Amino acid sequence: MVAAVGLFGVSFGVLAVAAGFPAWQAVVMSATVFAGSAQFAAVAVMSSGGGAAAAVLAGVLLNSRYLPMAAVAARTLPRGRLRRFLAAQLVTDESFSLGVASGSPERPDGRAIVVAGLALWAAWVIGTLLGALGGSLLGDPARLGLDAAFPAMFVALLWPMLGRSDARLAAAAGAVVALVLTPFLPAGVPLAVAAVVGLALSR
Amino acid sequence: MTLAVVATLAVVTIAFRAGGSALPASLTRRTAGLAPALLAALVMTEVTSEAGVPELDAKTAGVVAALVAAALRAPLAVTVGIGAAVAAVVRAVT
Repeated sequence: MVAAVGLFGVSFGVLAVAAGFPAWQAVVMSATVFAGSAQFAAVAVMSSGGGAAAAVLAGVLLNSRYLPMAAVAARTLPRGRLRRFLAAQLVTDESFSLGVASGSPERPDGRAIVVAGLALWAAWVIGTLLGALGGSLLGDPARLGLDAAFPAMFVALLWPMLGRSDARLAAAAGAVVALVLTPFLPAGVPLAVAAVVGLALSR
Repeated sequence: MTLAVVATLAVVTIAFRAGGSALPASLTRRTAGLAPALLAALVMTEVTSEAGVPELDAKTAGVVAALVAAALRAPLAVTVGIGAAVAAVVRAVT
């Protein structure tokens, strides 16, 4: 898992630089945002000409899930204001999933989240650095199929959620919203509308 | 421009995680539909043109391959690797 995230970090570094982000900004983004889907989404919107506001909006909406995820994780994260703040920054889809696997959906293992989160953070940041600096050595990311890595990851994250009927309904609605609105609105905005529709469909 | 994206997204994301860790967990259920709707929308925008028409190209082939891998319960990294590899192969031969 850690090695995979490191490789993924490399591809993020490559794509961020290809989308016009300076290497140091790609690294700072990985160190602070630490969320693959939002970072890839923001970079994808920028490279497709959607503009900075739409890029931020897509990333913010994707990362809004960390609010409830951190709320659930907080039950077992370390006590103390600073320690809890730092531990909460290590909550990602992957570390949270490992915490749930080690604990339960209601009480994820806070220690597992912190340990996994630290390892994944290091791999993600170092991978991004290598990708951002060595990207030119790899050539065009599309030649390596790295452009398909974004949607492939989204598919991989989405599929396990579809076991629930309310999630299937939300996913179907999001897909339809994106298809219908994409011709009429700037890149990124259909994502925001899809997210709002998904929220509205939440029980 | 890119710095503003990095800084804004960083501040908001840190606030989400910090704020969430100070909130009751009862919020979780009512936001359950957000992630699937957003992820599905992201996939659709990646495999369609700006006119909203599905594009039958190398990237879409990679996404379909990733969908098959995910349905077969392949791990995240394997699914992503298969998607990228299929897209690269299809692009190389077309």
